[in-house]
Amino acid sequence: MRGEQSRRSALKAFGAVGIAGAVSLLGARLRGLGAVARATMSKNAPARLAGKTVGRPKGAGATSAAAAEALYKLSPGWAAWTQPGLNVRDGWSEPDEWMPAIENSHGLPYTHNTFSRFEAPGKLAHHWAMVIDLRKCIGCQSCVVACKSENNVPVGVYRTWVQVIEVGQWDRDPEGDGPVVLEGGTYEPSVRRFSLPRLCNHCDDPPCVEVCPVKATFKRDDGLVLIDYPKCIGCGYCIQACPYDARFFNPIQQTADKCTFCVHLIDRGLLPACVTSCVARARVFGDLNDPDSEVATLLAAHATERLDISAGTHPQVFYINLDGDMVDAATAFNTIYPYAAGTNTNQYDELTGRVLLQAPTGGEGGVP
Amino acid sequence: MGGALNHSGLENAYWGLMVVTYPFISGLVAGSFVVSSLSHVFHQRRFDALAPLAVLTSLALLIAAPLTVLGDSRQPSNFLELLTRDHLPYSPLSTFIVIWLTYIALMLVELYVAFRVTNARIGEGDGWWARLHRGLALGHRNTSERAARKDRKILFGLSCAGIVLAFLFHGYIGFVFGATKARALWATPLMPVLFIVSAMVSGIALMWLVHFLATRYVGRRPDRQVASGLLSYLMLFLLLDLFLDALDLLTSAVPEYAQGSAYYGFSHLLLHGPFTFSYLGVQLGIGVVLPLALWLVPVVRRSWPGGAVMTLAALVGVYAMRWNVVLGGQAESKVSSNTVVTTSVPLTGFDSVQTVLGVFAVALLLFLLLAWLFPWGQAHEAMSASPSSSDPAVFPGTGVGALGPMPAPAPGESPVSGGGDA
Ligand code: SF4
Ligand code: SF4
Repeated sequence: MRGEQSRRSALKAFGAVGIAGAVSLLGARLRGLGAVARATMSKNAPARLAGKTVGRPKGAGATSAAAAEALYKLSPGWAAWTQPGLNVRDGWSEPDEWMPAIENSHGLPYTHNTFSRFEAPGKLAHHWAMVIDLRKCIGCQSCVVACKSENNVPVGVYRTWVQVIEVGQWDRDPEGDGPVVLEGGTYEPSVRRFSLPRLCNHCDDPPCVEVCPVKATFKRDDGLVLIDYPKCIGCGYCIQACPYDARFFNPIQQTADKCTFCVHLIDRGLLPACVTSCVARARVFGDLNDPDSEVATLLAAHATERLDISAGTHPQVFYINLDGDMVDAATAFNTIYPYAAGTNTNQYDELTGRVLLQAPTGGEGGVP
Repeated sequence: MGGALNHSGLENAYWGLMVVTYPFISGLVAGSFVVSSLSHVFHQRRFDALAPLAVLTSLALLIAAPLTVLGDSRQPSNFLELLTRDHLPYSPLSTFIVIWLTYIALMLVELYVAFRVTNARIGEGDGWWARLHRGLALGHRNTSERAARKDRKILFGLSCAGIVLAFLFHGYIGFVFGATKARALWATPLMPVLFIVSAMVSGIALMWLVHFLATRYVGRRPDRQVASGLLSYLMLFLLLDLFLDALDLLTSAVPEYAQGSAYYGFSHLLLHGPFTFSYLGVQLGIGVVLPLALWLVPVVRRSWPGGAVMTLAALVGVYAMRWNVVLGGQAESKVSSNTVVTTSVPLTGFDSVQTVLGVFAVALLLFLLLAWLFPWGQAHEAMSASPSSSDPAVFPGTGVGALGPMPAPAPGESPVSGGGDA
């Protein structure tokens, strides 16, 4: 048979390609491999590794400290819950202990999916909300720093940020002595600048909660939208689904992350860090169920606006004096430059001159 | 911009090449399954010979498909949560686990039934190859025409359910995007339909290539009837695709009709921007217009190289469609006006070209294993209503069945010699 020989060698070659590819795939996700194996163990592995006694040992997990350690060594890049170095020292190690405290310290009724179906809202203890008075915000960014510090938010990502926005336009200066010199001539500003503090809006109809395939993200009945980090599979769907880009992947934890309204503080009767640190008292936090609260009185006394209400998410962060154009920032075409555009956008490239040096308008975006 | 794990900045395109590949592979699953049902359900006799091959292709890809999302997930060790959390029917993504598991179960049964008689026949011999196939037939020994007829009935039912699942499997992926109102370019009810139609395109194109290569591989000439039949279906779905693309353009690219943000994304990213080449050039030009135009030329249409170019172009176009949807959709900023969120695809490491090639290689390996184990060449013969009426030029009853047993069986017994009538 003519073909027999060549057929076999072809098959062997294909098989080799397949096996090489499989090895390559697994190699690229070696830490994933270790983690998958670890999935059979309880979430308490790190605590055990640190030599601590764990509350409720589960099945095989109780005897598997050595196995967990071996697996951890197998997947050295896994910087997340199961990395003992991070977890234990930072106090992140025992979800069994702190998760209930964070999730529901007051024993409020909480559900995963009944966020739009409050049975009797009047009976709920709280409905947390924030009012941000843009007339007072001076754009000092201290809330951003306070949040980073309070919540140990890693470098490069933000739970709250203050967008600095210029609206208006830059006019071509025919005399040629405008302050900004570009290739096409000089330009004069005819703009107004303001600051827009942003954070998770703790929406009453949060798409992020609805899309989470494991319901790691949930809405507490007092209004907070929170993440049960050890449950998160890191699919990123909630990040895509949030119209406010309030979510991100925590690069240390490798889970979705976002503002919690400082749940650990407010459950102890304190204010969120950004509110405490606001030098202008532009940020006001409180309980909408209490008609005498400052947020309730502000809402009663002022015309307020919320971001992107056309998305139907019912945000619980209200703004006083928000520029109408900014309500839906993505389509606010007359914004000259939002400083908080992020380092991986063409805006940033333009600011740093990278685009001017390369292509006219961020042409390299999207394509490697 | 480094690997996909090293994002910085407020807005990031977190879904990378793996998420581009996931709908591509699952589209191939759905498409090739529907090709197999052309014979099983719609009784298109000329595709009988192709059906077993299509079942194998579909199963191999179905097993490989979730590797992409598993590889993309940041906490793959938590995947068991998908089974235990109370999430249905709220999250489009969570329906994956239900649909995929059902689909796998159905495909395994279908695999068993489609090859039962053939496996039983091979099992009549002796040696390890025969014993193996006795095992694959789960002890089933009846190779009579009656048994084959019964199997065909079961296959009909299975394939009917399978078509529904194939559409669900791919439709849900379209819905994952379509339901994301935060992304202007995704949030259109057209999404599931666009995905399903392009899935058919890619599945049919793939089966054309698989048929061509596999028959050539076993030293046979590919069947012209199968090839031209597949090409006609391909053109049908390409036309449908073109129609849907036109609809998409009309509703998103005309400022007077479209939502502001959808229009902005369409015009600044897809029509005049970083995705113009991959959208107009590859997705529409190479993927749709080129095969349609080539098909109009009879000489090209009838030639094997012509067919190969058309099907390859269609496959490339469908991959570009996934690319444009997944990466293009994320390139539009949610909170900053006039901003393109730049992204890059790393060559190695997390969410990279390397991992994507790895997934394809795994699929290829699975296919080779399945095609080695399951004698697709004879399955058609065993299942066909009247073996004598089948085209002898394609798969003669005594022909080599599978890709040929790799480890040579014990001397004196051909692993495929059981193919004759009992
Ligand atoms: S702002 Fe985004 S993350 Fe926060 S609750 Fe609303 S949708 Fe979810
Ligand atoms: S990234 Fe985590 S929290 Fe977000 S949808 Fe996926 S599993 Fe849920």
